[in-house]
Amino acid sequence: MRMNETEQELIAMVLSGRAEAFEPLVTPYRGPLIGLAYRLTRNREEALEVAQEAFLRAFRSLGRFDVSRSFRNWLFQIAANEARDRLRKRARERAAFEAAVEYGPATEDPEAGPDRQELRSDIMRLLGVLSPREREVFVLRDLEELDIRETAGVLGCSSISVRVNLSAARRKIRQAVRENLPHLEEGR
Amino acid sequence: MTCRRAKKLIPLFAGDDLRPRLTAAVREHIDSCPSCWRELREYRLALARAKAAAKEEGVPEWSDGEWRALMARVRPAARETKPAVVFTRPRWAAASVLGAVIGLAVLSVLFRDGRPGPRPDSGAAAMATAEADRGQDVISVTMVSPESGLQVVWFLDKNFDWKGDKE
Repeated sequence: MRMNETEQELIAMVLSGRAEAFEPLVTPYRGPLIGLAYRLTRNREEALEVAQEAFLRAFRSLGRFDVSRSFRNWLFQIAANEARDRLRKRARERAAFEAAVEYGPATEDPEAGPDRQELRSDIMRLLGVLSPREREVFVLRDLEELDIRETAGVLGCSSISVRVNLSAARRKIRQAVRENLPHLEEGR
Repeated sequence: MTCRRAKKLIPLFAGDDLRPRLTAAVREHIDSCPSCWRELREYRLALARAKAAAKEEGVPEWSDGEWRALMARVRPAARETKPAVVFTRPRWAAASVLGAVIGLAVLSVLFRDGRPGPRPDSGAAAMATAEADRGQDVISVTMVSPESGLQVVWFLDKNFDWKGDKE
């Protein structure tokens, strides 16, 4: 997905000091960006924070944006990096907390508590069986429908790495649908 | 192609993510292998169900307030990033500033030794200090008021002990 002329004009306006042009530039990506952040973090509040930080970072780094690239994919890249950083931080904090209070071993899902509404949804349970990298690849390729090269560009890895993780992710999804969510397999 | 090899490739084939050469080979195998065909069907079904579940669930939305608050945060960020523009000013501006600094440094070196001395009209009370050379026994310090013209002279010996004053 290449940039359209309007986006290029808006970017030029922002770079010339007209910060008000940023809103029309990013408004079309309001939904997609928070959707991506939500799938990656599996937490509404965290998704909002990730998306907010992604937009602010995009604003600050707009001068470094390569206009030959897709603006949407660039935003996705920033959001994916931010989500990854937050998940790592959360995992570290949780591990430190458990070590400090001798709380016993971590629960199966180190990223979230068991009672969260989000984790009870089918798609979130499916995403829960994936490793963080597999989830990133699966979300970008299968849910956001980027192609392999775009996915690799967003994640800053090779197409081979994307294919390896995508293959593993689809295997796990198929297994999870079959074992844990048979109502999905039967088509409800 | 063997079934084992095909089964390894089916997850990617299911989403049309194989390279063209491999795609043709897997398709050829699947067309003649009911077991692999069933497996492919399962993958496609699972993917379709996962996508449908994702669409069904939807994602959080920004409230108008949250969005406005975010866009309001962009404005201060714009002001914070403004100073970077300084570095894009013409080179002559930086050269002028550098020249002025060097000029001031040269002038301060030239006028460092004794000139110009304290001037009576330069402050509330001007003070002139008589410099004592090594052999001098008495030092005098003269203070002059610029308003009244009153002069006070203090005399100190070489150990800075008070010796007297004169108006």
